[in-house]
Amino acid sequence: METAVLSVDRLNKRFGGIVAVKDMSFEVQAGEVLGLMGPNGAGKTTLLNLIAGTYSPNSGRVNFRGRDITGLPAHKICHLGIARTYQIPQPFTSLLVRDNLRVAATYGSKKGDKLELDEILDLVDLSKQKGMMAGDLATVSLKRLELARALASNPTLILLDEIAAGSSDRELPRILGIIEEIRKMGKTVVLVEHVMKVMVEAVDRIIVIDKGEKIAEGTPGEVMKDEKVLAAYFG
Amino acid sequence: MKIPRLTTLISVAGLVVLALFPVIGIPLRWLNYLFLFFIYLALANMWNLLAGYTGLICLCPHAFVGLAGYTLAIGSWLGVPFQAGLIAGAAVAALFALLISYPVFRMKGIYFAIGTLVLPEVFKVWFSYWRPVGNIYQGMGAGYSVTGVGGVTLGDVYWLGLVIAAVSIFLVHMILRARLGLGLTAIRDNENSAASAGVNVFRLKLYSFVIAAFVMGIAGAIYYIYSPRINPTGGFDIRWLLMALMGTVIGGEGIEEGPIIGAAIVTFLTFLLASYGAWSLLIQGVILIVVVTVMPQGIAGLLRQVGVYRFPAKLLQAAEGKIYKNLK
Repeated sequence: METAVLSVDRLNKRFGGIVAVKDMSFEVQAGEVLGLMGPNGAGKTTLLNLIAGTYSPNSGRVNFRGRDITGLPAHKICHLGIARTYQIPQPFTSLLVRDNLRVAATYGSKKGDKLELDEILDLVDLSKQKGMMAGDLATVSLKRLELARALASNPTLILLDEIAAGSSDRELPRILGIIEEIRKMGKTVVLVEHVMKVMVEAVDRIIVIDKGEKIAEGTPGEVMKDEKVLAAYFG
Repeated sequence: MKIPRLTTLISVAGLVVLALFPVIGIPLRWLNYLFLFFIYLALANMWNLLAGYTGLICLCPHAFVGLAGYTLAIGSWLGVPFQAGLIAGAAVAALFALLISYPVFRMKGIYFAIGTLVLPEVFKVWFSYWRPVGNIYQGMGAGYSVTGVGGVTLGDVYWLGLVIAAVSIFLVHMILRARLGLGLTAIRDNENSAASAGVNVFRLKLYSFVIAAFVMGIAGAIYYIYSPRINPTGGFDIRWLLMALMGTVIGGEGIEEGPIIGAAIVTFLTFLLASYGAWSLLIQGVILIVVVTVMPQGIAGLLRQVGVYRFPAKLLQAAEGKIYKNLK
């Protein structure tokens, strides 16, 4: 029975002699929040890039809602309903905050399918800054702008790359709340995160990656006790 | 009927005044200066569209100008009237832009710049040997004259120049306010994010490139109606690039009124320094370096920062308010 919104089948990606992703296969069910975990350099961001179309895999397939999207360019994948954030925020610095979202809403979503931009800004707490140039925003706000821009194209699946990195203890509950709101919108989320609290509280299932390969898959509880996971992190 | 804004009315009035110059006895010298200003302005506006708004540092305006000029010249010997030759020239330039876009857009940043810089040099050599009409040229130049333009007066080309200058301003203005402008700015600021947000980066760059090539082609062809002799070194002279580049950078890259101010300065300097021969280009180059170092935002950028527009803008707003209140 095909309920998986995203399925990744034996993906391989090499950069020269370095294998970044090896034989990666997994499924994401509609409406779930899937976490990707692993030590630095494990290949998590590369995997996101492969799904989002920034890279093409050397072999393997990516299927989204029953359609093969392997090797499609990034903008086409956005049109099909996948949005992503970048680990290091990449805003449109000379555009206003609100216009950053407008780019995604205008170019990334199907006609008549848009979310209210002001509501999105409200959700990520950027309402006050909407008239500011993105280049003038504080660094902490840029991560939230990344998230807002990803939401602005009204995606079905949203890929978050370390959205909680560098958040203070005060900001973290807000981020957990935002992820919950996104889930309530009916969207599916795949998130890469190092911050354990997010992994434990916001996520339904976790996949652990080390050196480009999947080493564990399961609920947060199962995964945290897995021997291979502990070995990967602590040696 | 919607009542137009005061700024629009002032702009249109200005255009009408400029259009009247040839018939109200403005000295020919001034018509010459203004004509060249119009051509440089059209080139600078398009260069601004490419570099200032799309992030494409295009170093081949002289390829577009030369191609259009040669199409006009060769066409004139094949019986093509110059009016059609003008459009044909622009079309050839645009077609060329379309064809090279595929290889050239694969190069990023500085490599794109170098890739485009090479193209006019190739044409210089090509047109030195390729002479589809007429005899082998005796002596230096390997050029063509443009025939069939004997009846064209300075006033006529002046109007052609005014039209293309106005079109270039209007075009940039409209693009910036349309969907295309939003996408181009996104591409300029961050290509990867733009692609992830659904922008077809290649296609938008292509639109920008082809539009710019077409308009630069028209400007170039108009120039060769005004000065109806073309040869490889003149038609593909790097000066066309320099006028466009300096006009944009000195005036203010990525700012709508930048090329207007910049092209005016560049035209003025060209004539002021004309008697100094090769020094003219050196001096303009020094000015360019000074501007880039001291005010990289250009003169228009500086004016905006300093707030020079705030007072006239307030005056205009107040005037608009009064006038339209009385009309109701």
